[in-house]
Amino acid sequence: MKKGLIFIISAILLIGTLAGCSGGESVQAEKTKDGKVIVDFWSFWGSETRRPIIEKIIEDFNNSQDEVFVKHTYLPWGDIWTKNLASVAAGNPADVIINDINSVAQRAENAQSEDLSKYIDESFKDQFYPHLWETVMYGDKPYAVPFNTDTRLLFYNKDAFKEAGLDPEKPPATWAELEEYAAKLDIKDGDRYERVGFYPLWGSIGAASWMTSADGGKGFIQDGELYINTPKKQEALRWLLGWKERLGEKTVQSFEAEFGSEQSNPFIAGKVAMWVDIGTFYTQIRDYGEDMNFGVAPIPAYEKGSGNWSDGGGFVAEIPKGAKHPEEAMKFIKYLTGQEAQKYWAMKNYDNVANKEAAEAVVNDLKGDDKYVYEASVKNLDQTQLFPVPVKYPDYQSRINPHIDSVLLGKTKPEKGLAEAEKDVEKLKRK
Amino acid sequence: MKSYDTTIARRGAGLAGKKEKTSRRRMSRQTRENIFGYLFISPWIIGFLGLTFGPLLFSLFASFTDYNITSRMNFIGLDNFKRMFTIDDLFKTSLWNTLYYVLFSVPLTTAGAIFLSVLLNQKVRGMKFFRTLYYLPAILSGVAVYFLWMQLLSPSTGLVNTFLAWIGIEGPAWLFDPEWTKPALILMKMWSVGGGMLLYLASLQGVSASLYEAADLDGAGVMKKFFYITLPMISPIIFFDVLTSTIGAFQIFQEAYVMTENGSGGPGNSLLFYNLHMWNNAFEVFDMGYASAMAWLLFIVVMVLTIINMKLGKKWVHYEGGG
Repeated sequence: MKKGLIFIISAILLIGTLAGCSGGESVQAEKTKDGKVIVDFWSFWGSETRRPIIEKIIEDFNNSQDEVFVKHTYLPWGDIWTKNLASVAAGNPADVIINDINSVAQRAENAQSEDLSKYIDESFKDQFYPHLWETVMYGDKPYAVPFNTDTRLLFYNKDAFKEAGLDPEKPPATWAELEEYAAKLDIKDGDRYERVGFYPLWGSIGAASWMTSADGGKGFIQDGELYINTPKKQEALRWLLGWKERLGEKTVQSFEAEFGSEQSNPFIAGKVAMWVDIGTFYTQIRDYGEDMNFGVAPIPAYEKGSGNWSDGGGFVAEIPKGAKHPEEAMKFIKYLTGQEAQKYWAMKNYDNVANKEAAEAVVNDLKGDDKYVYEASVKNLDQTQLFPVPVKYPDYQSRINPHIDSVLLGKTKPEKGLAEAEKDVEKLKRK
Repeated sequence: MKSYDTTIARRGAGLAGKKEKTSRRRMSRQTRENIFGYLFISPWIIGFLGLTFGPLLFSLFASFTDYNITSRMNFIGLDNFKRMFTIDDLFKTSLWNTLYYVLFSVPLTTAGAIFLSVLLNQKVRGMKFFRTLYYLPAILSGVAVYFLWMQLLSPSTGLVNTFLAWIGIEGPAWLFDPEWTKPALILMKMWSVGGGMLLYLASLQGVSASLYEAADLDGAGVMKKFFYITLPMISPIIFFDVLTSTIGAFQIFQEAYVMTENGSGGPGNSLLFYNLHMWNNAFEVFDMGYASAMAWLLFIVVMVLTIINMKLGKKWVHYEGGG
């Protein structure tokens, strides 16, 4: 009986495995009927606005090609990364994937993506913003090509400025001015705030950005060294606490609760007079702002001359390790990150792109407020930094953030919190 | 059926002297039945071996390596387990958060479900409506519910705090205050006890009315009847519910992943549950070996607790018919 059982199970397993293998091979056709190599391209751009744009780019590319045919596969945000990981491990990945710009080195280190150096020459990188190109390098070799990016700017309500007796053409340039202006822009009714001038942790910016800005643009980890518990970063935390004290926990919370739903943005609704957000935020003002009179400026510097630091993110196109058609894939990536496709993407999405010439061409083609904000965002890229995941400390944020949370909740002193954060991160160092 | 008959017939014919062959025939019949049996359950066997048991063994092996899914798999002995207790501070945080959640949510949801089912077992007009009403939250599930609760628990505009304000209590900041995040999640879980309630309701209706009649004759009150008849009679279901919901509570993940910013388990890591920490290790920093080790440690913890539960269960679970 036992023998029979073993025989059956092994037979079934064998059949299953064989079926599985042959199935895997036949599912993916390598070529189209007219003999073009099929390049499988994965992206998470499935929304009504983005999907047609990327598919138009793909169509243009396909029409220009005799040998390559790009097939777009949409995968939801989040799923796309785990699926990519599994398919790389299984040796059957996509040919091109859109992935996060800040973790390129981390993926290269773990052999999840292909080294692209053999497909591109020295001058290729000159097309892109240097701070973006830096993030795709791992051990002197490029492992991805930057696609798009973003940058944070200060949006301010010009009407509110006039109302408060401030010059609408002179946005705050330093932290001190920011505080001074904010106080003037506050409108209070008894204890209740009708309008808040500014609060540094609202919008698309967090404590880490202010801490970096105070520290002369130095992040928590730079060139493998830790700069977490520095005097300037402690000062930045005290400064953030000062804002909270001024407005009161209640005001901060009630404002946050109101705009937590994202139904109406408090800046557009006129409840907050200054607001840090990415350049694309402008499209919300344009679409819902009813001709709001606003201005944009770089994020105020810690002090005069210390730099209007901003931070950004973005996405890259890369070839997963073990992709079947890397050469053809690279052809598509070159098109995707080339001037024509980048310009189309930037115009249609109002997005910052990685290709310098494309970005400048967009500035020339736009008009009015469209041009004003886009130009400001392009200019801001010079002062924008990216903070790629450090290979030696991939999970450093999970150790720092709780301590910052605790400081901002008033449960720990800044110097103590940061000292502990630095100690926790030190422990994580990988060989 | 036909082949079965012929086998018997042949066996009868061959009885004279050919003992060996007979026994082989019988074996082959048995084997054939086995073959059919296993064929019938083969979809499950394949699924179990290929998709559950195989990966399970693999993860056990991976837990002793520095496996990163794509390029590395070196044997490192017990280093992963050492790392949990020496280097990784968040391991303790996540285990504590999870234990806290299990310790409070399991008894509270069990008691809540029993209480609700007893109420809904009364003979009152419109009971069907109430039963539906209280069961409804159980069929709503997933992300939509979490978003709903994020709004309900909003510190200044949420319904929960608005209600508390009516009765003169200033509500906490719930999901924004590290000390209130876990109670907030437990509150949310209390809302959807409908699934357990349904089980209890079914078993309550199976309790024989004659027991209550006998108790009435002996002059037992409502409370006595509840504690001496109802509870013992539904104790097998309570046992089942406690066991499964304990195991389920240890695996809490989605709630924290959805309801905290970027799935970080914030504020102050107060919602960093064991599985969330494990997930972050596996898929954010690609430490699959370490994550596998964490999974096996959780398995051992849950296993030990289940065995303790089973042993304790013998003392208070009443099976009718002496089972």
